[in-house]
Amino acid sequence: MFTSPKSINRHIHKVKKINVLHTRQKPLVFCVSKYGARLWTGGTSHARVVDLRSDTVTKPGPAMRQAMAEAEVGDDVMGEDPTVNDLQQTAADLFGMEAAIFVPSGTMSNLIAVMVHCRERGDEMIVGDLSHLHIYEQGGSAQLAGVHSTTVTTLPDGTFDLKQLEAKIRHGYPDPHYPRSRLICVENTHNIQGGRVLPLPFLQEVRALADQYGVSLHMDGARVMNAAVAQEVPPSTILQHTHTVSVCLSKGLGCPVGTVLAGPRDFISKALRCRKALGGGMRQAGILAAAGRFSLENMIGRLVEDHRNAKTFALALLDCKPPLFAVDVSAVETNILRFALQDSTMTPQEFCTRMSEVGEDEEAALGQGVQVLMYPHFGNSVRAVWHLGISSEDTRLAIQKMRFVASRYFTGIRH
Amino acid sequence: MALKNTFLFQILEYGSVVCGSPRSGRAATAAILGRSPFRCYYNNAGKPRSRGAGGTSHARVVDLRSDTVTKPGPAMRQAIAEAEVGDDVMGEDPTVNDLQQIAADLFGMEAAIFVPSGTMSNLIAVMVHCRERGDEMIVGDLSHLHIYEQGGSAQLAGVHSTTVTTLPDGTFDLKQLEAKIRHGYPDPHYPRSRLICVENTHNIQGGRVLPLAFLQEVRALADQYGVSLHMDGARVMNAAVAQEVPPSTILQHTHTVSVCLSKGLGSPVGTVLAGPRDFISKALRCRKALGGGMRQAGILAAAGKFSFENMIGRLVEDHRNAKTFALGEHRQPNPPLFAVDVSAVETNILRFALQDSTMTPQEFCTRMGEVGEDEEAALGQGVQVLMYPHFGNSVRAVWHLGISAEDTRLAIQKMRFVASRYFTGIRH
Repeated sequence: MFTSPKSINRHIHKVKKINVLHTRQKPLVFCVSKYGARLWTGGTSHARVVDLRSDTVTKPGPAMRQAMAEAEVGDDVMGEDPTVNDLQQTAADLFGMEAAIFVPSGTMSNLIAVMVHCRERGDEMIVGDLSHLHIYEQGGSAQLAGVHSTTVTTLPDGTFDLKQLEAKIRHGYPDPHYPRSRLICVENTHNIQGGRVLPLPFLQEVRALADQYGVSLHMDGARVMNAAVAQEVPPSTILQHTHTVSVCLSKGLGCPVGTVLAGPRDFISKALRCRKALGGGMRQAGILAAAGRFSLENMIGRLVEDHRNAKTFALALLDCKPPLFAVDVSAVETNILRFALQDSTMTPQEFCTRMSEVGEDEEAALGQGVQVLMYPHFGNSVRAVWHLGISSEDTRLAIQKMRFVASRYFTGIRH
Repeated sequence: MALKNTFLFQILEYGSVVCGSPRSGRAATAAILGRSPFRCYYNNAGKPRSRGAGGTSHARVVDLRSDTVTKPGPAMRQAIAEAEVGDDVMGEDPTVNDLQQIAADLFGMEAAIFVPSGTMSNLIAVMVHCRERGDEMIVGDLSHLHIYEQGGSAQLAGVHSTTVTTLPDGTFDLKQLEAKIRHGYPDPHYPRSRLICVENTHNIQGGRVLPLAFLQEVRALADQYGVSLHMDGARVMNAAVAQEVPPSTILQHTHTVSVCLSKGLGSPVGTVLAGPRDFISKALRCRKALGGGMRQAGILAAAGKFSFENMIGRLVEDHRNAKTFALGEHRQPNPPLFAVDVSAVETNILRFALQDSTMTPQEFCTRMGEVGEDEEAALGQGVQVLMYPHFGNSVRAVWHLGISAEDTRLAIQKMRFVASRYFTGIRH
């Protein structure tokens, strides 16, 4: 579908072509959609690209590709793919859960969790107002699953106020005015708030509240392995507090596709049905599960490097004179960095554009062109995400680029 | 982390999950016998499947349960390993983009989108065609969409369905179709008809190819009433090969189509949904909402590309083998134990009934799936032929790239062995 820049443009509501650089191969077109998402169609042949848009861009390396090519497969809808079965068992054990199921995406995993936990007419779920589930999943829980949501206010550290949570739990049921609260969702690490790790006591307290009112607790743990590495605990230590969890394999863990949903056995057997209904029943999925297995065996420990690189960049932002960037370095706990611009010369959008293009005198000043890709983010901030495709050298270049942009374009006008 | 156990989920028909311990070496075989966890056969509803007598390590397995069991070979695996990838949610996976373009061109459609399964593809088609509150779809009463997709069109998409009676050749009566189209709208009593679905080839009716003239007439009716026409073309490549036409000749009559890569075409995963450009852009949104937005999906799309380039022509062998087996049954000595309409065996699916009441289809499949006591002595080797009991008290067998002419010969031999051993000649 997106085979040419022109076809991409047709799908964008608001196109801002900032700097079109024609290379020998293809033009570089940087397009901005109305929703802030970026479409990237390649770079100049000389510039180095440092892609900090998301850890979803991670690509499989040679060893992982070999694992996929050699995977033993079967029909997973019939339950006969040994590699999928193995991955599911491995994941369940690692998470301290009874069982697990492999699904094509985190969105589907969360949707299945909602469909299973809230399977009766009139059920309600409580979710953070800045959670991925609430913001980025197209309202699927309502649109497809027919479940009503209510939200709690997300605090900067990714948690929420327990008193507010308790008040949101429906106390009037079975009075027919009221939905029935069936599910609380937490997100760990918290994406929008900048990769924040939920404190274990918080999880313990949420679980206690959930148990008190007979409500389930699901964790959108897309990046829970980052949390585990940051807290230096096994994932099961975190997940002991939740009934079920979604864990992405395709983000920092580097797999091409997939997420694992884990929980009690009867939950997973119902999840199987929901997965099929949604169209997530894949056949020889062992091709993908082999990569998942490889990730769980080899790619958890290295997450600490992503955290380190994110922190390095954060410190450099803070170091910047004059202080153009507002960043709470203590809040940079994992691989996601969220920062604001204190200088009103540029919007976050414009800053991201400047960082991604190769400026006119940049090669002269820096020795090479560097394109650093980031996304403008909630609350007038910028988000940058570190992953296995970003080395410490890339991070150094990104810092250099940041300083270049700062010196060239900021005029020192404060908000 | 060592591979401790191969974990097998055994789902009995009444829906409970039993997680069994592994069985060395024969795990896959034991799991295969007598198990069809996700198919609800109305004539067998509620009965747990028998496990069969177990396989021996010497037995040859001829797996005719479905063409979904096809596995990627060395060349396809190499294509998978070498695939150039990107983030497909960002539209940046070149292999996925390429596959989608190839598919669109092959089908004569404006655009296409790669999705994890045929179920999702059909569901997306319903969600896009019937996107307003109060819309209704018309679907064959024996269509995969209606029978095997867990009622997703209602459950998830909130769309009301009405059915037309499926005829043995996979078509339906056009007068009945016209009567099902809602003529009273916008009277608030009535849903609004937005979509007609056809299935080609028709699975339950035995891999039947829809006549081009029929498609033309359905499309004319759809156009007359401003209704869309979607084809569940999971096996439309089989139809194209059988009719000896390019797929675009068939698909010119439909607005949109789902085409499976993971069945006879041999890819491990996936289906392509194709149609007009604006349909596909809406389909993209539905795919994301359903959770079908995969990241470096080029891994899978590379296999799909390989399938389109290399694996369409060979489908004619599957058709030939299915026909051979059908004839093998047809030429049974008197009394004829199997009822099979050989002229109805048009592609790779064979549907036949048992005329002898000694065994039910379930029992017959069990016998075919196990190695009998004196079988090795009689036949030289044990052969396990796996099939499914099917609608209307019949049996379904499906040919695919994993079944050679030799396998087919062995299956015929096995069929004759079972016939001679177990049928007592009692007619219905």
